[in-house]
Amino acid sequence: MSEAKLAITTHNLSCRYGEFTALHPLNLDIPKGEIFGFLGHNGAGKTTTIRLLTTLLEPSSGEAIVAGCDARRNVVQLRRQIGYLPENVRLYDALSTRENLRFFASLSQIDDARERVEEVMDFLQIRDLADRRLGTFSKGMRQRVGLAQAIVHRPSILFLDEPTSGLDPMGVRMLREVIERLNADGMTIFMNTHLLSEVARSCSSIGVLSHGQLVFHDRIEAVSARYGDEAALEELYLSVVPGREDAA
Amino acid sequence: MPRIPSAIVTIALKDARVALRDRFLLVATLALGTAALISLIAGTIAMRTDVATYALAKEQLLALGKELSSIAAPEFYPLKLMRGTIEQIEIMGAVIALIAGYRAAVEERGRQTLALILTRPLNNWQFLAAKIIGGAGLVGVVLVVVFSTSALVLMIGSGAGLGIEDLLRLALAWAGSVLYLTGIFVVGFALSLWLKAPASGLLYAFALWLVVVLVAPQVGDTLDPDNQVVGGVFAQLAVPKAEQDRIKAGFAGYETVRNGIEISSVTKHYERLTFAVLGIKDTYTGKTLGVIWADKRGDALFLLLFTLGLGGLVLLRPIQPNRLTKEN
Repeated sequence: MSEAKLAITTHNLSCRYGEFTALHPLNLDIPKGEIFGFLGHNGAGKTTTIRLLTTLLEPSSGEAIVAGCDARRNVVQLRRQIGYLPENVRLYDALSTRENLRFFASLSQIDDARERVEEVMDFLQIRDLADRRLGTFSKGMRQRVGLAQAIVHRPSILFLDEPTSGLDPMGVRMLREVIERLNADGMTIFMNTHLLSEVARSCSSIGVLSHGQLVFHDRIEAVSARYGDEAALEELYLSVVPGREDAA
Repeated sequence: MPRIPSAIVTIALKDARVALRDRFLLVATLALGTAALISLIAGTIAMRTDVATYALAKEQLLALGKELSSIAAPEFYPLKLMRGTIEQIEIMGAVIALIAGYRAAVEERGRQTLALILTRPLNNWQFLAAKIIGGAGLVGVVLVVVFSTSALVLMIGSGAGLGIEDLLRLALAWAGSVLYLTGIFVVGFALSLWLKAPASGLLYAFALWLVVVLVAPQVGDTLDPDNQVVGGVFAQLAVPKAEQDRIKAGFAGYETVRNGIEISSVTKHYERLTFAVLGIKDTYTGKTLGVIWADKRGDALFLLLFTLGLGGLVLLRPIQPNRLTKEN
């Protein structure tokens, strides 16, 4: 696939902390417009991968091209193109929803920051929370504001790290719908998760990371064709991820 | 290219807004202001009585048809009453600045907002610069409140009033205080950002505070024989100047160590500078600013280098990826 059609591409991207290898050389191509589900057990290296792709971490070796920008050399340009929602984001309790969003919009240097904040609040149906400070918000409300800050600057790629963590079923459904709407508008979504059901419902392609190594990467249809539908992902996951004993 | 001032100003303004709504900072600032005012008001009451006594004596003299020159006209130095305020800033202000620095780091790490900010189109040093500027702004505003209230109390309460030069001296003392507390803020911020657990950063910062703000100046003061007797040992014993010099020469090594301990503390430099500028130390009471500057520019330079040096160190040190959150 030509580079112009790729949202994310990595060549032998790796990350080591001293003797420990958090991510073994990773080669990954994600086309534009995908919803990519990144599966893996806790500590598999999913968050490390997102941090490498969002320029929060510098790779030990290899390269990553995100939205056409080199993650080492074009850091600031790359950051204009991405949105990021970390796991358990809390934002500023002392500021209202609108103030939080205006802060991140200003920081993203968009020209129509004020109008765009109102637009995003409408899109995520959080206008009723606009003037309330975040201190009293539930996890679900915070997650919506968190998502709003991640898209307020119209990024072309959105990185979500365990976005459904701690959400109730309503919150999970709302998030899924928003992700699908954003994707329908052309946004590429890179989503870390360990919920197989979410991947099965939302993603167009998946990757499975185990102990820092990519052990599977394919389109979701290929998985369904190979393993059937309902329990397909679970079966796939268990077949490619070694158990604790194997890993040891 | 990123718009440098825009990102820095955006973060600094956000910090100011958050700080204004921070109950801890509000209560701490009020406590500092109250403590400073109590000592100031007590001093102004005493001075007001002295001024009134002099005015009464003057009136009586004039009523008796005598010359004013028959009583010595006293000189009133209201700025000397700022001693308590400066000492509160030295100790209590430093604690507040340390905690404010800690909170500036831990808030961003604990809320995951540090990661959000660093995925925006700005360089990491801009974030650090914004935090330092925001801290300096916060310190500056708090001190403006403290100094202007003090000036008001002195003007109204002392009965002696304040001249333009007095206000200039207050402005200089304010500037020195901003430098001092900003440096302390940076220590709290840097340690809480650099160390794995921000709480450890705060503990280390308090340990430093204990040594730099409390112990070193006190040790230096306690070892000074002149501080053990009111008016000084030599003055009380009426030792002639030549004899004083001969005795001091015998203790040159001791004095070098004592002074070394004192000047290792930024607090002592701050105190020496502000005490001189405000005429709190008797040696400098009534001296012109030019004379004081010639004598105290070393202390001013130390303060400046302390704050700028620490700020520069923070800007030069990259943010470690495993310090983005509080949990790591």
